[in-house]
Amino acid sequence: MAINWTREAAAHLLRRAGFGGTPAEIDDLYARGLEGAVARLVDYEAIDTAAYEQALAAKTYNLANVRGLQQWFLDRMAFSPRPLEEKMTYFWNLHWTSGVAKVRGITLLHNQNKTERQYAVGRFDDLVVKISQDPAMLVWLDNALNRAGRPNENYGRELMELFCLGIGYYTENDVREVSRALTGWTVQNFRQTDNYNGATFLDNPAFHDNGVKTILGQTGNWNGYDAIRIILDAADSEGSISGRFIGTKLWSFFAYEYPPSHVVHELSEVYVASNRSIREVVRAIFLHPEFHEAHTRKTWVRSPVEYAVAAVRMTEATTDFATASNSLSGMGQVLFNPEDAKGWDWGTAWMNTGTLFARSTMVNTLSTNRGTSGTRFDPNRLLAGRDASTAEKVVDILAERFNVADVSPAIRLSWVDYVNANDDGSRGNWTNTVAGVDKKVRGLVHLMLTSPAFHLA
Amino acid sequence: MPISRRDFLLRTSGFVTVSAMVPRWAVKGARAFEESIGAPNALRTLVVLELAGGNDDLNTVVPYADALYAQMRSRIAIPAGAVLPLDGRLGLNPVMTGVKSLWDSNRVAVVENVGYPNSSLSHFAARDVWHTADPLLAQRNGWLGRWADRYIAGSGNPLACTAISQSLPRTLLADNVGVPSFVNLASYQYQTDGAHPGDRNNQIRTFLTQNGAEYEVLNSAGRLSQVGEDAISSSNILQAVGAGYVPGGAYPTGTLGAALLLVAQIINANVGARILYVTFGGFDNHATQNVDHDPLLTTVSQGIKALFDDLDAHGKSHDVLLMTWSEFGRRPQDNGSSGTDHGTAGAHFVVGEAVRPGVYGAPPNLSNLDANGNRRIENDFRAYYGTILQDWLGADAPAILGTGYPNLGFLNRGYV
Repeated sequence: MAINWTREAAAHLLRRAGFGGTPAEIDDLYARGLEGAVARLVDYEAIDTAAYEQALAAKTYNLANVRGLQQWFLDRMAFSPRPLEEKMTYFWNLHWTSGVAKVRGITLLHNQNKTERQYAVGRFDDLVVKISQDPAMLVWLDNALNRAGRPNENYGRELMELFCLGIGYYTENDVREVSRALTGWTVQNFRQTDNYNGATFLDNPAFHDNGVKTILGQTGNWNGYDAIRIILDAADSEGSISGRFIGTKLWSFFAYEYPPSHVVHELSEVYVASNRSIREVVRAIFLHPEFHEAHTRKTWVRSPVEYAVAAVRMTEATTDFATASNSLSGMGQVLFNPEDAKGWDWGTAWMNTGTLFARSTMVNTLSTNRGTSGTRFDPNRLLAGRDASTAEKVVDILAERFNVADVSPAIRLSWVDYVNANDDGSRGNWTNTVAGVDKKVRGLVHLMLTSPAFHLA
Repeated sequence: MPISRRDFLLRTSGFVTVSAMVPRWAVKGARAFEESIGAPNALRTLVVLELAGGNDDLNTVVPYADALYAQMRSRIAIPAGAVLPLDGRLGLNPVMTGVKSLWDSNRVAVVENVGYPNSSLSHFAARDVWHTADPLLAQRNGWLGRWADRYIAGSGNPLACTAISQSLPRTLLADNVGVPSFVNLASYQYQTDGAHPGDRNNQIRTFLTQNGAEYEVLNSAGRLSQVGEDAISSSNILQAVGAGYVPGGAYPTGTLGAALLLVAQIINANVGARILYVTFGGFDNHATQNVDHDPLLTTVSQGIKALFDDLDAHGKSHDVLLMTWSEFGRRPQDNGSSGTDHGTAGAHFVVGEAVRPGVYGAPPNLSNLDANGNRRIENDFRAYYGTILQDWLGADAPAILGTGYPNLGFLNRGYV
């Protein structure tokens, strides 16, 4: 199967590998060809972020509270010049989530996010070790309390079930033994006096269970590093178990859920051959013909975070996400505060009538913003340099911009009718004037961003 | 199901358009309910009132006749002479005149010493236990979410379960039922550009069209379209009811009063609301408790009374039951800051015509405390939930909660 590299394919790639892009960004990717475009996204260290980091620092988000931390991460996702770096960080934020309700220390959650970014496309085993020693995670899943003679199996279980293998590839005995191996990985300086922000990792030999453990059939005096190595090395007749697990999860996130088994095996082979390089697995996904099939496009239901970020990016608005905390709560996703260790469900679970209204309210606030500080949105920018002389042309310009040109003719026609409509609903004529843009372009942006075609990426 | 064909108003600022849209779910949903649980129960609504933070039930339902109570609470005890007596041993906090009047009209059951073994004293863990009805926290979904998956999924009714809340309470987290949560009617609608009110109808019409496409295969876009249609149709119904609503009760000011008024409005909209969930917080009273706690109880009591007065005035109270819960009670011994620390068992209220009035369980035993100085559990909270699931919602309680929890008998099983 050859991949038909088109501008639409580039837009699809940018929606999945990032949070959607502007017409100029899509043009840029398209011009690089398939492999060049994928390399641009995946080998993102080549993209200089100094100017962005400087701009971000100048915004002085208040990182002492969770709202400020949410703003900081949303800003990165919306405005960083490295879309995949932030998309992968977001993936890890969903994969092994931790929540402020239990962790409390905002700095700990901030640091966990930085770790996820630092190792985002690195070796999976490095990241698993870093997360297993991450103070927020040690508190969130209680390994901080896990010590010889007083085991706590919460983290040992999730390490295998949610993070590395999936149910069915370990026994309850393995849970106990892995947990014993992880004893002693704890935190120090987790104290109320500094709002729990000063905690650091401590490998405390006094808490470690020095007995012999049998993990997935291997017996020895294992410690945490050994347990992680054994878990990630686990294989059966079909090859690496963690390779299939993380390959499935990444494919589900970037392409679609329930991948065919041949795809999973191909990804697992890449994982093994590359020494568990997440970068190479992700590259393989984006270069896979199946990723570029029509049935892969527009099937991913954007999460609230992805929806908010895509709306900002694709309208070329600027914002400090000051109200995002409330908006996201109504949409069902409070960053850094998931319901439980499993985090959020994906897909249509995000959507009910209440969360839909919360989304439409958020983008209405965005599309009708006429302010000159905080959030800024300029509808004229969307038409700049284009022939917007008819309603049809306005609709097509915006539909292309928001990647919703794939709607049915009936829906496109309803947008054209909207642009032409007088207030009483009768047919009028679009005029490309300041007043016309202020009413109809803002309105059409709102409509397109609340259409099913935009909730899907 | 009272919903039949009717017209829905498409309200706009400035003028009104009539739309002949009949929501798919309003008819289809009614049939699904009746088939799954029988018509009588299908009309019933359960209002869940969460008192977040750990309500001090000892100063709510006061064991005024117990000398230990006054002794252990030298700083914050409610004087025996001031309580509103329920019987010779227990009395309500004097600010709770509203609940007392409902008690006097035989509409209140008090369930004492509710909790679970080895209580967690952490808000975080204890709330999750109560939300999921699982002390082991192995259940992801909420207890009413599991009920909804069993009895509501497939009804297509977007308002079958609704939370009056900024975000979804875990009690209602379900696999196959979407539960909207919103804090007021203004936020449960398709908002448009305030600078161009005249364009609002055009926008709403277009929004409906873009969600009205027919899909041969129900893919993601098709499902999202249904949600969009349901959102507008259910919003139209609620906005119409809300706009002309005359409350029949004196709701307290503040968020609880507003939320309970919204509960009454949704009930009066006849949209097949089965579960309405309200959270009211502020009960974590570690210091100078009475200054904070008495006003909270005043609001709760006034709110419950107003809700039932309002439902009475609209002829709706027959089919509504209200229950309270809180993640734990508080320690019998007050602390050095004239407050109370985290405890275990608590007393909860069940209000409605279907209750068999009275106190269920013994008064708190303050002489037999655990190693932390906390009360021992008498009624497992799953027995509390199960009685409501079984006798109010007609549900298979053991399938949702597990077996071994007795029916506490506070509901009239012959109630129709």
